[in-house]
Parts: sequence; C-alpha cells; structure tokens
Amino acid sequence: MTDERTKEALRYLGYGRQQADSLVAEKIGQAFRELERTADRRFVSREFDLSLTGDGEVWIGGMHIRSRSLGKNMKGCCRAILLAATLGAGVDRLLRRQSLTDMADAVVTQACAAAMLEAYLDEEQERIAGRLAGEGRYLRPRFSPGYGDFSIRHQGQILAMLEAPKRIGLSMTDSCMLTPVKSVTAVAGISRHREPCHRRGCEACEKRDCIYRRNEG
Amino acid sequence: MILDRLGKELLFFDGGMGTLLQEKGLAAGELPETWNLEHTEEIVDIHRQYFEAGSDIVLANTFGANALKFHGGDYDLEDIITAAVVSAREGAYLGVTDDREVYVAMDMGPTGKLLKPLGDLEFERAVAAFGEAARYGEAAGADLIHIETMSDMYEIKAAVLGAKENTSLPVFVTMIFDERGKLLTGGDVAAAVAMLEGLRVDALGINCGLGPAQMLPVLEEILRVTSLPVIVKPNAGLPAVRDGRTVYDVDPEQFAASMKRIVQMGACAVGGCCGTTPAHIASMTKACRGLAVKPPVKKKETVVSSYGQAVVLGDEPVIIGERINPTGKKRFRQALKEHDMDYILREAAAQQEAGAHILDVNVGLPDLDEAAMMRDVIGEIQSITSLPLQIDTVDPAALEAGMRMYNGKPMINSVNGKQESMEQVFPLVKKYGGVVVGLTLDETGIPDTAEGRADIAGRILAGAAAYGIEPKDIVIDVLAMTISSDPAGAGTTLEALRLVRERYGVRTVLGVSNISFGLPRRPVINAGFYTMALMSGLTAGIINPASEDMMGAYFSYRALMGYDVNCGAYIRRFGQEKELAVSAGGASAGAPSLKGAIRKGLKEDAAALTAELLKEEEPLAIIDGHLIPALDEVGKGFEKGTVFLPQLLMSADAAKAAFAVLKARMEESGTGREKKDKVILATVKGDIHDIGKNIVKVLLENYSFQVIDMGKDVPPEDIAGKAVEEDVRLVGLSALMTTTVSSMEETIRLLRERKSDCRVMVGGAVLNQEYADQIGADFYGKDAMQSVYYAQRVFDR
Repeated sequence: MTDERTKEALRYLGYGRQQADSLVAEKIGQAFRELERTADRRFVSREFDLSLTGDGEVWIGGMHIRSRSLGKNMKGCCRAILLAATLGAGVDRLLRRQSLTDMADAVVTQACAAAMLEAYLDEEQERIAGRLAGEGRYLRPRFSPGYGDFSIRHQGQILAMLEAPKRIGLSMTDSCMLTPVKSVTAVAGISRHREPCHRRGCEACEKRDCIYRRNEG
Repeated sequence: MILDRLGKELLFFDGGMGTLLQEKGLAAGELPETWNLEHTEEIVDIHRQYFEAGSDIVLANTFGANALKFHGGDYDLEDIITAAVVSAREGAYLGVTDDREVYVAMDMGPTGKLLKPLGDLEFERAVAAFGEAARYGEAAGADLIHIETMSDMYEIKAAVLGAKENTSLPVFVTMIFDERGKLLTGGDVAAAVAMLEGLRVDALGINCGLGPAQMLPVLEEILRVTSLPVIVKPNAGLPAVRDGRTVYDVDPEQFAASMKRIVQMGACAVGGCCGTTPAHIASMTKACRGLAVKPPVKKKETVVSSYGQAVVLGDEPVIIGERINPTGKKRFRQALKEHDMDYILREAAAQQEAGAHILDVNVGLPDLDEAAMMRDVIGEIQSITSLPLQIDTVDPAALEAGMRMYNGKPMINSVNGKQESMEQVFPLVKKYGGVVVGLTLDETGIPDTAEGRADIAGRILAGAAAYGIEPKDIVIDVLAMTISSDPAGAGTTLEALRLVRERYGVRTVLGVSNISFGLPRRPVINAGFYTMALMSGLTAGIINPASEDMMGAYFSYRALMGYDVNCGAYIRRFGQEKELAVSAGGASAGAPSLKGAIRKGLKEDAAALTAELLKEEEPLAIIDGHLIPALDEVGKGFEKGTVFLPQLLMSADAAKAAFAVLKARMEESGTGREKKDKVILATVKGDIHDIGKNIVKVLLENYSFQVIDMGKDVPPEDIAGKAVEEDVRLVGLSALMTTTVSSMEETIRLLRERKSDCRVMVGGAVLNQEYADQIGADFYGKDAMQSVYYAQRVFDR
C-alpha cells in the first residue's frame, strides 16, 4: 500500500508511477519519520482585495502583478488569499548533514520534504476552503510565484504583506529564494461561484516537458 | 537613569504601533517608518496617547529602520530615525503631565532576512546595519536600545553587538516564542537566555506572537533560567481574521487582569504588542500601578548553548567530543590544509551520532590563518548540528573570531593562571559571553600537588571576578598527566577534582585520554580513569565518543549513579546487537560479489567485500575490474530509466566505501594512482539550492575526479580565481532559478576571459540546452550522469 505523499515523493525522485524497491521504500519511510521529528511546520495566510483586467493585470491588495497565467488562474474571483508555509530551518540542516554523510538519504529526504510541504499546504488550504464554504465562497487552487509568467520578483512583497518573517520565520535571499529552503508562498483566488473541477498546480503548469510532471488523465 | 529603576520598580512600556497605523491607513507591506516623515503628527499623537496612558518607556517608530530595508530609496535612514526619536520626545512633552521620568527607546526589529549559513545575509553585514541604526538613535537622543520581535538567535546576537559596539546605551531584548517555548528558528528559552546573558544585555523577555494567557508558561520558563529583569509585551490575544481584517480578541480589562498576573509572576517591565491600544495600556497601568516587583533571582547554573539548545553542566556527566583536532591526526591536518570542510563536518556529524553533547573545535596548524579557519569551521559546523561548541585555541585572534561568529553561548578552551592569559581571554568572555575552561597551570608550570592546582583555580576565579565574570562561567581543568611518567599523576588529578569542587563549587572538565599516553590499549586505561574521575566530581570529560570503552564507562556511570531512569539509555544502547547490514539487502543470497553490492547500494557489504578481494587482487585491478564496471552498469540503467536517482546514489555511496578501503591500502603501500583530474563545482551566486551540485560531486568522485567543491552562492570572481589558481580544465555550475542564471552567465563570461582553456558544464532545474547555449556554456547536463560522461570526454578518458 502506497500512501499519497509517498507517491508524490516517488514522483519527485523521478519514478513517475513506478514502485520503489524495498531498500528505497525503506529509505522513504525513514525519511518521513525523521522529518516528522525535525520539521517545524508553520503556516500563515491573509485575505486581500483582488482586481483583474482581461489582459493579465492583477492587483492583490497593494501588489500589482503582470501575469497572464495568474490572471487565468484567478478568473472569476473577487478576493485573493496570500499564503505561505515552511517546514523550518531544522530541515535545511538535516538535508545538509545528510548531503555530507549519505547523498542517497539527502535526495530521498529532499523529495519527502517537498511532498510533506505540499500535503501540509493542501491541508491548510482545505481548512480555509471549509471556512469559506460556510460563507458561500469558494477557494481556487494555489499558484506560486516563479511558475508560468508569475514572476519570482513578487516574493518579497508577498512575504511583507503576510509579515512572514515575523509570523512564521520565513524570509528570502536577495535573489528571491525562500529561506528556509523547504517553504512555499502562493496566491489562491476566492470566488462566489463554485467552479467545476479546477486543475491542480502541476497539471496547470505549461512546462510540459518537466520530468517531474504528474501524469494526466 | 532607567537602569537604576529597572528590576526595582515596575516599569510600563507602550502598546502596539503597527495596528494603530493600519487603522490610520497604512497599507499591508508599506514601510511604517516612512510615516515619521510623511505623517509626523499621527506618530506624535500615538506616542502622546501612550504617555497619557501611563507608559514610562515608549518605543520610537524605528522597528524596521535599518539599511537592509531602507537602501537607495526616497528616504534617508538617519532622517527617518531622527524624526522618530524626536516625535517620541514630542509625544512625551505633550503626554506627560506629572513630573515622572520617562524614556524613549530606539526600537530595532528583525531585518526580515535570514543570516548565513541558512540564508544569504552575512553576519557582519547585519551587525553593521543594526549598528548604524543604533548610532543614529543614540545621536537623536534615545535613552536605550530596545531590540524586539526577534525570532532568530543569530540575528539577535548581531543586533546586540551592533548596539553595544556603536552606542553606550542600555540594551533590552525581547523575542517571539511560540506556545512550546521555541523561537521560529528553533532555539529554546534556555539557549536564548544563556546567549543574551553572555552578551550582557540589561533586560530580556518576550513580545508578540502570543496573547498574555498563552505567554504564561513561556514566562515561567524564562524566570526559571534568567538572572536578568524580565520584560513581557503580549499581543491583545491571538489574531483572527474577520471580514478580511486582522483583529485581536483580548479587551483592555482582560488584558489588564492578565498583566497583573504577569507582574506577580515576576515580570519587571510590561507593555503590549500587536493589537494593544492606549486603552489597553491605560487599563494595565491602572491595574498594576503600585504592585511591587519581584527582584530578579541570580541563577548559579553553568550553561552553554547553541542556536538550538542549551546544555547544563550540572551533576550529570557531559561528553565533550575531542575529534575535531589536528593533534596527532595526519588525515585531519591534511583536511585543514586543503580546506576540506566535508571531512571536518563528517567528524562533527559522527560525534553527534555517537552521543557527544558538546564538540571541541581545534583547527590550529602552523602556517595556517587560524582565525579565518576558525570562523569558517564554526559557521559550517553550526549549519549541520545544534550541539554547542567548545572553541579550542591558544591564538587570541582565532578565539575572538570564533566567539564572534558563534551562534549561542560557547564554551572556551582555555584560560590559565598566567596573568597574560587572563588578560587576553577574560575581556573576550566579558564581551561575547561563554563558559571558560580554566587550566590549573601558571608561570611556574603545573603544580605537582592537588593543593597547588586548586590554588591556581582560585586565582583564575578571582581574575575572572575582576572582569565581572561569575564563577558559574568558569569550569576548571585540573589536568591529567600520563601515568607512564608520573605514577602518582592520576591520584593527584582525582584529588584536585574533589578539591576544586569542594572549595569553589565550580564545575570541572578534563582531557581524559592524556592519562594513558605511551601505554598499550589506551582505551582500557582511559575508560577506567574516566569512571574514577566522574566519581571524583568530573562534570565534562573531553573524550572520543566513538570509543566503545569510553561510552561504556559513561553509560555505566549514569546507570549506576541513578541518572538513567530504569536504565533506559543503557538498555537502548546495549540491549540489542546491531543487525548486520549484509542480511538486510539480500546480497548474501547466492555468492556475494562486490559488483552486486555496488549495484544494490550496500555500503557495509561493499567495504567488507573489497577488503576480502584485496587478499587476492591489487587495488587498481579491483577498481578497473569490479568498481568501474559496476558503476557503469548502474549509470547506464539510470539513463535507460531502469535505475532511479536514489539507487544511483546508493551505488555511488557503496562504491565510495569500497574506494575508501582501497585508498587506505594504496597509501600504506605508496602505490597511489596518477594525479587526478581536477573539476570545480559550484552553485552560482545568489543560489542556495545545492543538492544537484552535491549529486554530481558524489558521482564525479566515484570516477576518481578530484572535485573542488566551492559550495553555494559563490561569486563569479571566486570561481574564476580558483580555476586559474588550481589550473582547472573543467568547471561545473548549477543554478535552480531563473533569477540566478544571470550569475551563471557572468561566471562563464569571466572564465572565458581569465581561463580560456577551461570548459564549462551547467545544470539545474531551470536550464535546458537552448538556455545553456544562450549563456555560452560548453555543455548542458540534463542529469548527473551526463556530467560524468562529459568530464570523461574533456579529460580524454
């Protein structure tokens, strides 16, 4: 039996839909156990006004974004939620230690951490969606800067608008990389109408030759 | 003076600023400090309200005013800070109607950046930024520096040093802890308090993050460990989002009631943070005015800390790992000379794994810039382990470099009874904090008697006291001399241990293994002596935690003396034989072969089988006949998609284990292989994701390339410089993000200019062939194996 996050970890490791042999499967199990001990999961979100023009201009609170892919993602939405999550600095140190002592462990932990982070975001997002549903509003899938034409340069504004350094210890480098490394920021639209089945992040991405792409259909 | 009142009478801070500014129209993400110049009246008015509400200390609106947030923009930092302090003074003029003395604090919040090694902010750059802001604050007339809302110990240290090195103002520090008593970057209360007391701040405490009720357990823990006056400034409850706005749920009356309780528990200065208003503060001052403060209680425990944890040197024995030291270790000396950080870090990781609590760090070699090396090694070790470190050097410059760089309250090895030594070491301890090992020797040498050594210990304690260093921050090393030259040596040492413990109540440390110098089977004597020393009051043995004998002595002592509840730790350690790795992977099914072990990625098997093969074959024959063919096979499988990345790396690690066995044999017999081909690997400037580069490194090393790993976030000049210096013909660069590909391009350009015969291969998530061509790379490796094949081509293998 392979659970969802193990499947995701395998995908990040390049297995596609194939199963891992027993040694690698054991490593994955170990990595998740180690991460459960080491990861210090934190999450912050905040709701903002949203306005859109048809040609890819997006305003979220005071932030102005030019992005067709984000505009498409947010179509029909009236508000937006900014969100950020991190697994904390301990995971960075764990990865670094493993890179020195056992590279295979490091690679597996890296993939498992990515899967854990996505699952954590899914969970938090579901919680928000549940709250919104009670208000007759619906949450769309999240969309992160750095994907499509949504520039990574917006990372700093998103962090500032969320007060992410103070609230969850998440900041970024001069080149807009999140620190701690195992972290995500994203935007998710809120709509008054329930949309039929929206594609999730990976499938929505236009980088179709990506080796980590989830199989469609 | 505020310091005359602090801790003796209750002092009141102000409440939230940001929340009030947001109500007045400050947008999310906008820098509130710009309001000092743009909306001065609003700022003055808020301060006035807090003074009217009874605040004694008001924070100027300078929380984010530092060069890292204000650079090259429309505002001058000094103007912003000056206006802030002046506005607070103006608020006092308008708001204080009685004759009470009030204070304006220069407020310093976090930079919003994570420091190296986890982030990209240089420690000294942070010190300089905080220092500049503090200087402007003092010049504008601030009465104290208040560092607040901090969630990273390293940044706190930078801020405190910046404040202390640039001003003569009192320094207060408050931090955000979560409900579990942890900072956002993982430090706990004890670790943070130890560091801050070491840095000699004037008061410390907690603000933001939590409401007053949730802060109680954290406050309790702070009061348990600190000797300093404690500040508490909670939020008005926990934030909730209502109609898209952040609101706080604790009203002024509830807030006041909680704050009264907080004062009764032992806080000396109280105020509010996010969501608190002048009404909260007025209600609080009304409820608390006249309450007596509990004076801070001096704590006597000896504590060292890292950014993550504190270690108490108390009755239970503590293990200081001795392995990071070049003395008598050829391989370690070589690592230092070659700046082989990986080797040193593996020693650190292995000692942690083996059970050390503190790691001694000695990197002294003749002809080596020890200060630079100490700084590098400490920074690197702290990026992989949270064990506290003991900085071990006789070079004052290296000592200061290490203490300054260190994230936490370090242990220092050492000072001794010589006047000169005390004059060098104690000022550093006074400035940076630390627990110092005092060696009982002086100008006349090491006394033969326990009495004589105890006397020197007394002089060291007195010398420390003259610098304001308390006895709890001195641990005494009464020195162990080898019994092969002095038969009474062990007895003298044990007696001296008892004596200093009895006479001064201080904790002790001892380099245990000296005792057996010149004798066979040293671990046997060492373990026996270690147990005797523990019985005589030794707190911290400096030992090799990889030694089964020593760890056996340690675990036995704890079990025998009742420190190990139900002998739990002893049983966990020795209760079950370690399983043999051979059985786990199934290599034993059928005749095990080295090739098979490598294919399956079984490290222990590969090493064992290599040793077996060495009985019949030459090392080079084993490499060419077994290792390389197995690696090739795995590499081809990876390309075809039948072998996956973890397996490829497990095989690489297994091959590495086999190589290590062969290398040891070749060094013994002096039959090394011809000079290796050098390859530089680096993750380019701005990029901190280095896992891809590390994968390539492991594989290249397997194919016996000599990899010069320059790490991550490496400036183009450094890479080009190294390529010239080492005459390297192949450089591999990795970048993960579009934002850092430009550094890659710049690096290539510089390499072409300075080292035109050098090939460049590139890889990383954002790259593809087209992109690689565009930036002028010679080769794009779509996966790690491709870079091996390309390297082989470049070097005509």
